[in-house]
Amino acid sequence: MTQLAEKPNPISEKKVMTLAAALTDGMDIALERDEKVVMYGEDVGVMGGVFRVTTGLQGKHGKHRVFDTPLTEEGILGTAVGMCAVGWKPVVELQFGGFLYAGLDQVISHVSRYRYRSRGRWNTPMVIRFPYGGGLNLLEQHHDSPETYLTHTPGIKVVFPTTPYDAKGLMLAAIEDPDPVVIFENIKLYRSVKEEVPTGYYTVPLGKARKVMDGSDVTLITWGAMVTQCEAAAKAALEAGISCDVLDLRTLVPLDLEAILESVEKTGRVVIVHEANLTSGFGGEIAALIAEKALFSLEAPILRVAGFDTMHSPFNPINHFHRPEPAYIADAIRKVLEA
Amino acid sequence: MYKTFTEKPIQRIGEDGKRLGRQKIGLPPEKLLEMYRDMLRARLFDEKLVLILRQGKTSFYSQSTGMEGTQIGLAHAIRAGHDWVWPYYRDQGLMLALGVPARDVLAQFMGLESDESKARQMPHHFSSRAHRVVSCSSSIANQVAPAAGMAMAQKYLGLDEITVCTFGDGATSEGDWHAGVNMAAVNGASVLFVCENNQYAISAGLESQMKCKNVSSKGHAYGIPGYFVDGQDVVAVQEVMLQAAEEVRAGGGPVLVEALTYRIGTHSSADDDSKYRSREEVQLWKNRDPIVRLERYLEREGILPDATGRQALQQGIRSELEQILHQLNLESGPSWRSMFEDVYSDLPVHLQEQYQSLEVEQLALERAEALRRAGARERAEIHATQLIGEGSY
Repeated sequence: MTQLAEKPNPISEKKVMTLAAALTDGMDIALERDEKVVMYGEDVGVMGGVFRVTTGLQGKHGKHRVFDTPLTEEGILGTAVGMCAVGWKPVVELQFGGFLYAGLDQVISHVSRYRYRSRGRWNTPMVIRFPYGGGLNLLEQHHDSPETYLTHTPGIKVVFPTTPYDAKGLMLAAIEDPDPVVIFENIKLYRSVKEEVPTGYYTVPLGKARKVMDGSDVTLITWGAMVTQCEAAAKAALEAGISCDVLDLRTLVPLDLEAILESVEKTGRVVIVHEANLTSGFGGEIAALIAEKALFSLEAPILRVAGFDTMHSPFNPINHFHRPEPAYIADAIRKVLEA
Repeated sequence: MYKTFTEKPIQRIGEDGKRLGRQKIGLPPEKLLEMYRDMLRARLFDEKLVLILRQGKTSFYSQSTGMEGTQIGLAHAIRAGHDWVWPYYRDQGLMLALGVPARDVLAQFMGLESDESKARQMPHHFSSRAHRVVSCSSSIANQVAPAAGMAMAQKYLGLDEITVCTFGDGATSEGDWHAGVNMAAVNGASVLFVCENNQYAISAGLESQMKCKNVSSKGHAYGIPGYFVDGQDVVAVQEVMLQAAEEVRAGGGPVLVEALTYRIGTHSSADDDSKYRSREEVQLWKNRDPIVRLERYLEREGILPDATGRQALQQGIRSELEQILHQLNLESGPSWRSMFEDVYSDLPVHLQEQYQSLEVEQLALERAEALRRAGARERAEIHATQLIGEGSY
């Protein structure tokens, strides 16, 4: 399922990149390496996308490989299915995660099922990418975190890059993957995180979690922008003498259950943090898996910190309610320790 | 050259079998007879499937009787196995005429292990990689954008293949239809869009489906040509489709063709059409049977086989289907194991676990069944021995 990570050449140059720039770099390399790769979506070509993640790619690779489409999510996702049937690898952008709903039928009825229904004669190795999540005080439906619709759909892989290094490596791995992969690109992280990233080709395997901080008292399991929030909470906790094991899952499907269980067995206390609203969120799935497989390692009930089960309201003065803050995570850490 | 956006459907043969217009019909006799045979084959396939549905050998069937002129005319206008086809569910006649073996089509209906999609698709969702037929999904019209995407790739690669995408009249109300046709139009993609307008989406007639006068006029909205043809006239369908297909092949972008037809049967095996259409209306369209119309033309041309010849033709098709069914009845459906295959390119951990949990249950059931059979055999043997011992025969 996962591919072996090709270690970047140690003498490869490095460059400081934002998460957005790292994604662009990954796509640039993919376009260069594989002529079957095409990229398209609304405003993707000339303008480089509303978040400028495809900036410069049309100029460099041509209008036939990076192009603009009419305003149609179902058209964008649907045409990608047909291109896959003749061997292409489309990487399509939706302007916002909340616009996925308009094309969700193509994802569920076609993208996810082609391998299965054609007995493997056809597959849909496409990449669907979109910005998601809150924190920029945007509009209704522009801050949604719709991962559960996809994790609940068999046949699709779901990826959440959190660091620029991962963003590039996961992007390249996703494009090479034989299955359809959805990349959730966090709006808040696009330009708020920076780090040195190798300029050459490398991949980060799908299905391997990243240990963000090593600790022994509480396990924090999270993904996407909540990794940053958990890190902040864990650092604050450390000052109070509490050490947290922080896991960035990187991919929800495939899920690195081994890494989760290893950590849970060590700490016995678990807080799961996600930005999507609580009910039927993927946190519930993780909690259930831990209860099934490591119940007797638990010293306290599993807690979830997640968005409220309401809609994002752009003019609400307490907007951050839709995005768990480190204080809420700290609160949960305290609770699992007191239990 | 046929004109676009005609008020009335284009016809070549009248209901009395007379050629219409001055233009001669260019199809050679052997081609016409081949089309005649394909229409009969589709009709008899329909009859057979209704029967095997009653016998419980398939779970669902939507008849295409009455639509043979449309489907067979289309099949004979495109390059089978070269052009790609994204069909809709009622296209069994099209499949057969494109050369997809009747065996494969039947195996799909019967949900057998040997089916190309391993019985993972509902009946009617045909698929044949060898014949370039891509399987559809249950959401109406969502094959339209994929067809556009495939054709965008063909155009870019400079191939002379075209993509054919069929759908019913109801599909043209779906958002995906408009999205897909528009995507194809904007990109100049090589798609032949074919509406098999049988005038009903289950119970909803055309007037409750659209305000515009017909489907082909929707081409105006996307800046593409729209042809309107009489779907009961196989010759007109073949000629108009051929012209449209070659326009597409020449790189002119997508073309929409609407064939006006009628399904004589119900929407599906789960439908009762007497609730939404009169018997008089159905009778009117029975009188417009596309096979009868072609027969009348062939008779006028002096190339219609005589009664004995026609009888033999039908008998040949019937026994072909009979033989296939006989063989398929010996085949079985897929193993439960198949459920877990091809979800992903490999078997992820969570699916491995689910597979193993089911395996424990299934192996226990298999053992129990084996024991039951062994027991039954043993009892039968004892019984036989007793009978022989008692000299009862």
